[in-house]
Amino acid sequence: MFAIATLYSQKGIDFSVQYPGGRNLNMFVDSAAKNVYYTLQFPNQPYTAFSFLPDVSNINIRFNFKKTTNIEHYRYSILIDDKPIQVNRTFDTAKIFNTEHPNDSPFGNDLEVISAITFGNFLIKNKVITVLTYSIERPLAIYKSVFYAKPIPKARIISLGKRFQVENGVKYKYFHDLKAQTTLNLTIKDDEITIVKDRTNIDYLYNVIIKDIQSNRIIYESTAWQYGAHLDESNQLAPYLKFDKSIFQKSGDYEIVIQPMISLENRLDGDMSPEEIDKYSTKYLMTIDLEKEITFTAKELGIYMGAACAFVGIIAGFTMTAIKRKNKSKFAAELHQKQLAHIQLNSVRSQLNPHFLFNALAGIQNLMNKNETDNANKYLSKFARLTRNVLDNKALISINQEKKLLDDYLQMEQLRFGFQYNITSSKDFDAENTEIPAMLLQPFVENAVKHGIVEKGNEGKIEINFEKQSANLILQIIDNGQGFQSDIDYKGLGLALSKERIMLLNNIYKETPIILDINSDINGTAVSITLTDWV
Amino acid sequence: MRAILVDDEQANLDNLQVMLASYCPAIKVVATANNITTAFDQVNLHRPDLLFLDIQMGKTTGFDLLNQLEEKTFEVIFVTAYDNYGIQAVKFAALDYLLKPVDPDELILAVSKAESRLESKSNGQQLNFLLNQIKRTEPAIPKIALPQQHEIRYVSVDNIVRCIADNTYTYFYLSNGEKILISKPLKEYSDLLKPQGFVRAHQSHLVNPKYVKSWLKEDGGILLMINGDKIPVSKPNREMIKAILGR
Repeated sequence: MFAIATLYSQKGIDFSVQYPGGRNLNMFVDSAAKNVYYTLQFPNQPYTAFSFLPDVSNINIRFNFKKTTNIEHYRYSILIDDKPIQVNRTFDTAKIFNTEHPNDSPFGNDLEVISAITFGNFLIKNKVITVLTYSIERPLAIYKSVFYAKPIPKARIISLGKRFQVENGVKYKYFHDLKAQTTLNLTIKDDEITIVKDRTNIDYLYNVIIKDIQSNRIIYESTAWQYGAHLDESNQLAPYLKFDKSIFQKSGDYEIVIQPMISLENRLDGDMSPEEIDKYSTKYLMTIDLEKEITFTAKELGIYMGAACAFVGIIAGFTMTAIKRKNKSKFAAELHQKQLAHIQLNSVRSQLNPHFLFNALAGIQNLMNKNETDNANKYLSKFARLTRNVLDNKALISINQEKKLLDDYLQMEQLRFGFQYNITSSKDFDAENTEIPAMLLQPFVENAVKHGIVEKGNEGKIEINFEKQSANLILQIIDNGQGFQSDIDYKGLGLALSKERIMLLNNIYKETPIILDINSDINGTAVSITLTDWV
Repeated sequence: MRAILVDDEQANLDNLQVMLASYCPAIKVVATANNITTAFDQVNLHRPDLLFLDIQMGKTTGFDLLNQLEEKTFEVIFVTAYDNYGIQAVKFAALDYLLKPVDPDELILAVSKAESRLESKSNGQQLNFLLNQIKRTEPAIPKIALPQQHEIRYVSVDNIVRCIADNTYTYFYLSNGEKILISKPLKEYSDLLKPQGFVRAHQSHLVNPKYVKSWLKEDGGILLMINGDKIPVSKPNREMIKAILGR
C-alpha cells in the first residue's frame, strides 16, 4: 500500500481532493492544476459528462460503485483522443478496493464505505480521454465521460440563414463566411432564422445567446442543436439552431455569443473573469434592419416628417420642463406605493393566521383529552414552530422551510381527519437556498383540508408539488375533494385575502409577477401559483 | 451524563425532567434550580457535565450565572421561550439552544451533540466568547463564531466580505482573502447577518455592502465587489438591493 502511494505521488497526483467525473466516475488530478471544471449534465445529452482540465498533466480516473452493485455486469471502454485503447472490458474484481464516500445524510459528514476500481494514471496534457461505461442489464444506457485537456475550440458560425414566405410555401437564403460584424435585412416576408455552427465532437457544450445591445437584455438562449439539414465543408452534418424572427422586435445592434458551458458555478473560487470567458467564446455583432409593416412612399414620408418635426419642436419645449418635474414626483409616487404595499402586506399576513392556529390548538386539546401524551408533545412542538414562524413575520423563507411548515401543519390536521398527503419537489433547483414569500401556500393547503377532503376521510388526498419550469417556479396544490364553484364560496375560504396578498406582492416584485390559477370542480381542486422568472 | 436544570418556572423544570427521562435516559439529572444563586451552589457542588440553562429568569439571566462561575468544565444547552436578544448572542457564538416547548427530536439531537463536544473538551472557549460579546456595552461590530471541523474561528462581522451557499454548507470569504467552509446552511447566517446590514443578492449569495464597489447593469444586474468579484443579483431581489445600496 505504501509503495503504491509513493508511486502515485511521483506522478504528482493529489489524492486528497477528488472531483466528480460523471456517472460513477471520480478523478484525481496532479497538484499543479489550478482549475478543474466539470459539467455533469447537459440539456440534450442524458448520459454525458464533461470535465475541462486546462492545466492538468496527470489524471487518475476511478470507478466507484456501491457494495450492492453487480460489477460483473459492467463493461468499459477508454479512448485517448479518438483512438480506442481498451474496448468493452470487464472489470478485474481482484482489484476492487474499499473507499469512503460522503453519503447524502442531511447532517453532512457521514461517510459510506463503497467499492472502487482505478482505471490507472493517464498523461492527459493536450489530450482528450473518453471513458464509456454501461451495464449489460441496460446496454443502451452508455455513460460517456469526457476529460478534455486541450484548449476548447472557439465556435464558428459557418452560415446564417433566413426563411421567407413565397406564394406556394417557403424558401431559404443563406449567408456564408459570417464576418465579426454583419448586417441582416429582414423583410416582412422573412419568418425564421437559422444559425449553422461548425461541427465538433463536443457541440453539446456550446450555448448560443443573443443579446439586444441597446437594452443589454438576453432575448434568446438555446443549446438545442439539431442535425440533418446542413453539411459542412467536409460533408459532415453540421449542428444548427433555428428561431423565430419575432425575437427581434426592433431594428438595431444585436450580439450573437456562442460559448461553451464549462459551468462557472462549478468553480469554487468565484466567477471566471470576463477576459477568461472571452478566450472560449465567439461573438458576432449583427445589425438587424427590420422592415416595418406600414410603409410610405418617399414623398408621403417627407410631408409627414416635416409636419411631425414642426409639431414635436413646439411641444418639446413646453413639455421638457414639465417632464422633469413629473419624473421627480413619479419616482416619489412609486416609492410611496411600494412602502404602502409593504405595510398592507404585513397586515394581510397577520390576518391569515388565526384561522389555522386555533384549529391546531383544538387538535392538541383533543390529544390531551385522549391522554396521548407522546403525541401531544410531538404536535405541541410542531404548533410552536408554526406559531414562531407567524410571529417572526418574515417576508421570505426558503422552500425547504416552507415544506417543513406545511408538513408540520398537515401532520397535525392528518391527526384529526386521517387523509393522505404528499409533498414533492423537482430536484433541478436549490430548495435549501431558494426563497419564496412566507406562508404563500398555507391558506390554499388549509382550504384543501377544510373544504376539500375532510368529508372523504381516508380516501382524501392532497398533493403539493414544487417545480421549476425554465426560470419559473411553479407551486401546486391538488386535492380530490368536492371542490367549490361560486364566488360566494371564495369569500368564505379566505381566498380573497390570498388574492389580495398576491396582488400586493406583485406591487413589490414588479419584474417577477406571481400568477394564481385555481381550477375547481366536483372532482377536486387544483391551485397553481407561478412565480415568474423567480429562479 | 450528569445534568443540572436551571429555570425559574417549576413547570418547565418538571417538563424537561420528564422528557429527559423518556427521550434521553442516559442523562442523570443531579439537581434542579429555580434561581441563579441556588444554581451557582449546585453547580459547584455537583460539577455536572451538562447544564440546561434558561436565558431570562426574572431580572437575572442565565448569562449572569455563567459569569459567576469561574471554571466552565460543563456543556451548556440554552433553553428559551422566544427569539430575543439573548438567543441572538447564543447564535453568534454558535452555541446550542432549545426553544420552549421543547421538541423531543431537537432535545435528542442537542444532547447527542453536547455529548460529542464534551469528549473534545472544547467547551469553555465558546462560553467565554459569548460572555465577552454580551459584556460589551456597545457591541458596535460583533464577532461571530464559525465552527470548523477542528477549530472555531472568531471573525469580526466587518471582515466578512460575502458568503456563498453550497447546498447545506456555506463558504465565507474574508477580507484577508481567506475562504472557509462551514457546515451550516446559508439561511442561518442570512438570518444572523441581515440585521448587521448584509444583503441577500441571490439565493446563493449573501453580501456585505461595505465591500460592494458598484452596481453593473450587465445581465440585468450584477454587484461588482471591491476586489473585482462579480456577484449575480437574482431578479426578485433587484429592487430591494438597489434600494439598500442607494441609501
